Parts: sequence; structure tokens; C-alpha cells
Amino acid sequence: MSDIIVELEHVGIAFHAQRSMGGGRFWALEDVSLQLRRGERLGVVGRNGAGKSTLLRVLAGILVPDRGQVRRRNVSCQLMSLSLGFVPYLSGRDNAILSGLLLGLRRREITARLPAIREFSELGDFFEQPISTYSAGMNMRLAFSVAMQAEPDVLLIDEVLAVGDAEFQRKSGAALRARMGEGQTVVLVSHSEDQIAQRCDRVLWIEHGRSVLEGERDAVLAAYRQAAQPAPAAA
Amino acid sequence: MRRHLVELVLFSTYAELRAETARSYLGLLWWILDPAMMMAAFWLVFDVILKTGGPDYIPFLLVGITLWQWMKSCITHGGYAIWSNLPMVRQVPLPPLVFPLVAMLSDTVKFCFIFVLLVAILWALGYPPNDKYWALPILFLAVFLAGAGVGFVVSAVVPLVPDLRFVIEQVLTVVMFLSGVVFPLSQVPDSLKWLMAINPVAVVMDDARAILMHNQLPNWVGLAKIYAISIVLCAAGVLFVRWMAPRFPKLAN
Repeated sequence: MSDIIVELEHVGIAFHAQRSMGGGRFWALEDVSLQLRRGERLGVVGRNGAGKSTLLRVLAGILVPDRGQVRRRNVSCQLMSLSLGFVPYLSGRDNAILSGLLLGLRRREITARLPAIREFSELGDFFEQPISTYSAGMNMRLAFSVAMQAEPDVLLIDEVLAVGDAEFQRKSGAALRARMGEGQTVVLVSHSEDQIAQRCDRVLWIEHGRSVLEGERDAVLAAYRQAAQPAPAAA
Repeated sequence: MRRHLVELVLFSTYAELRAETARSYLGLLWWILDPAMMMAAFWLVFDVILKTGGPDYIPFLLVGITLWQWMKSCITHGGYAIWSNLPMVRQVPLPPLVFPLVAMLSDTVKFCFIFVLLVAILWALGYPPNDKYWALPILFLAVFLAGAGVGFVVSAVVPLVPDLRFVIEQVLTVVMFLSGVVFPLSQVPDSLKWLMAINPVAVVMDDARAILMHNQLPNWVGLAKIYAISIVLCAAGVLFVRWMAPRFPKLAN
């Protein structure tokens, strides 16, 4: 297929190990390559510290590679961020507008979506109250409802599939699944192989900042499981 | 893209002002109480105790502190803005200039409120508004450009070296004393006069008092020099922030 919208070639990202002068660098990503096609749902697996979240931030355009190349067709890639820019002393409405602007929406687009945000977050009259008066659950409901309003070409998800209490978890999970079923291009990072197995078509496996294997979901996941358990169970 | 950033900056400024008034018990009143308390302290020391104030000391001090507070807050709030917003810088790809700009704009809105009050107080003290006020916007733009220029440069460095914050407060206090904010610089020796002529703070202080208290127009040549210095500073600051931009998302605050 030639419909590649984002391509990473041997990308490396170096962080300074400490702030003081002369501190060494360490490479959070050493050498990662991937190809993302339109409409595809790519899962990223790897152990803690493999560089999964750093990779998402490269895709989002937040981090600029220290080596290698990122090629991006004219598409927007966005990290699904909860509570982005939330200010405790502002009302739910003002926070929704502020967060929406930070997510790249225009003011009029957010204004048009405010009723939907209010409805989905189930906040009722609390929507006009400062969010410092909210419970943690209410806060999460508002955060998720706002985050869902962003409509990037590529949605980057870092482990946030369901938030809030049990009931809202079902609702938010369903909303996100619906979104992923609508042909939204998604890159999903997760510890949970099950999540990846359920939601993704292709999988990239990274280890110690290097891409190990990229390809069709079942083949990559099988290889990943095998590597994770050097002594394979007979059954 | 451009329009979106303008909307973001404007709404963030509103949000910042709104949150600031909601955060404290007295809210908006602190915008006035804060400079008023500072003024009272200087009046006590220089006029009541040291008796160096002179006849016009209270209006002299009022004008000085009002302008200085604005300039200083542009430098400190603007200067710390990228550093204090690093958690957001790590999450969204935004031009980092947005953060100092929002801080400076909200301080400017505050200054506008305080300035209206200043004019009222000056009037009550026997300095009514005069026909030279038209020059004030030109002067204020110079104050803003100077403050913003320094603020942008500081904002690019503080994320890398947060320790700088402790130095900046002290440096600004020294600058305040060396710029005729709280006492006149008439006793400055001739050999140092050239330094005062290119010190933006000293020049704008003189010009502001000329307009507000003495019904005189600013020294245009002096002001033009300050404009040149401030514009160069602003351009340098903006370029510096943009050059440093790729490093900010990798930093922790």
C-alpha cells in the first residue's frame, strides 16, 4: 500500500540524564522505524521503559528526533490528553473551552460542542461551577468528554481507554471503541496485550528503544509473547 | 493556524486573570493593594524617615511604582512562564512563545486597571489630566517592548537553568534602585549619565513623570533610542525562544 501518512526512519531521541552541566545523554529511543497507513490501527507493545510513550510524543510532533527522520504527510497527529490545561478555579465550561483550544480546536468549534460535552460528562449544573468543587470522578468525566472532541487525523492513545467509575468506564470505553471503528487512524500504546489484540490490526514491538518487529497483529504478538516467556508453556 | 493561536492566547489570558481573582480571598483588590503596600513602604523609608523625598514625592513614587511593577511582572511572570508550563509543553506541540505572551498580556490588563486608578489619584493630588496624555500610548508601548524583550530572553533560559530565578529577583531590585523608580537620579555623577540614557527603565520613568506630572512631552530622541534597544531585545528573545524550542519538551520542572 502506498497510503502511508506517517513514516519514521531510524528515529532516535536523546534526553539529558540530569540537569547539571556535563551530564551525559541517554537515548530513550535508539532506532525506531515504522509506517502508518490511513485508517490503520497500530498497536505498540514493549516492556516498561521501552520507549513507547516517547514514541507517541515523536508521532505527535512534540519531540523532534535527534537522529533519523520523521516524514508526515499533511496530517494532524494528536496525543489524547486528559485534563489538558485544566485550571482548578475556572468553571467546567471555561476549562472545556481552554482545553479545546489547546487541543487545536477553534473557538467556534468548541462553543458548538459545549452542549455535547456537558451532556456526555453528565455534570448538569456543575458544568458552570469551578472544577475545584468536583470529585475526582467528575473531573475525569469532564476531561474525557473534552478530549473526545478533538478530531485529529491520527489519534495517539497512551493507555487511556476507560476512565471514571464503572458506569462511565463502560460509556467512555464504548465511545472510544466507536471512534476506532469509524475508520479513525489510531496508534495505541498499552501494557495489555489483550487491549492491543482486540483493537489493533498491526503491531509494532519495541524493546530498549529499538523496533524489534512490525507487522500483522497475530504474528508480532506471538513473537512478543515467546520472547517474554523464554520457557514456553507446553499448552 | 495563526487565528487559532490568537484565540488561544486571548482565552488563556482571560482564564489566567479569572483564576487569579478567584484564587485569593480579596481577589481583584490585590491588584491595587499590592502596589499600594509597596508604595507605603518606600514612602515611610524615603520620605518620613530619611526625609529625602522632596515636595512631589508621593506622585513621583506613584508613577514610578505603577510603571515599574508592570515592567517587572512582564519580566518575571513572562520569564518563568515556559518553565512553569513545562508539563503542558510535554503534552502538546505549541509554540512556546504562547506562554510568556499570555503572562505578559494578563499583567498588561492589570496595569490598565491600575493606571486608571493612578490617573484618578494624581488628579486628586492636584495633577489633573492634561493635553500631553496623547503621548502615553507611545510611552507604554516602549515599556511593554522593553519588558517583553527581557522577559522572552529570560523565558528561554529559565527552563534550562531554573536557579536563575533566584538571581533575577535580586538583579531587578538593583535595577529598580538604579533607575529612578523610588528616588530621583539627579545625584548621578556625570560620568554615569550615559548609562542612564540607555537604561530603558530610567528613560521611561522620566518621560512618564514629564507627561503625568509636569504637562511636558517625552524626550523623543531618548525614547527613540529606547525603542531601538527594546525592539532588538524582543527580536533576540523571540529568536532565542524559537531556537531553544525543541529542548523544552525534554525538560522536567
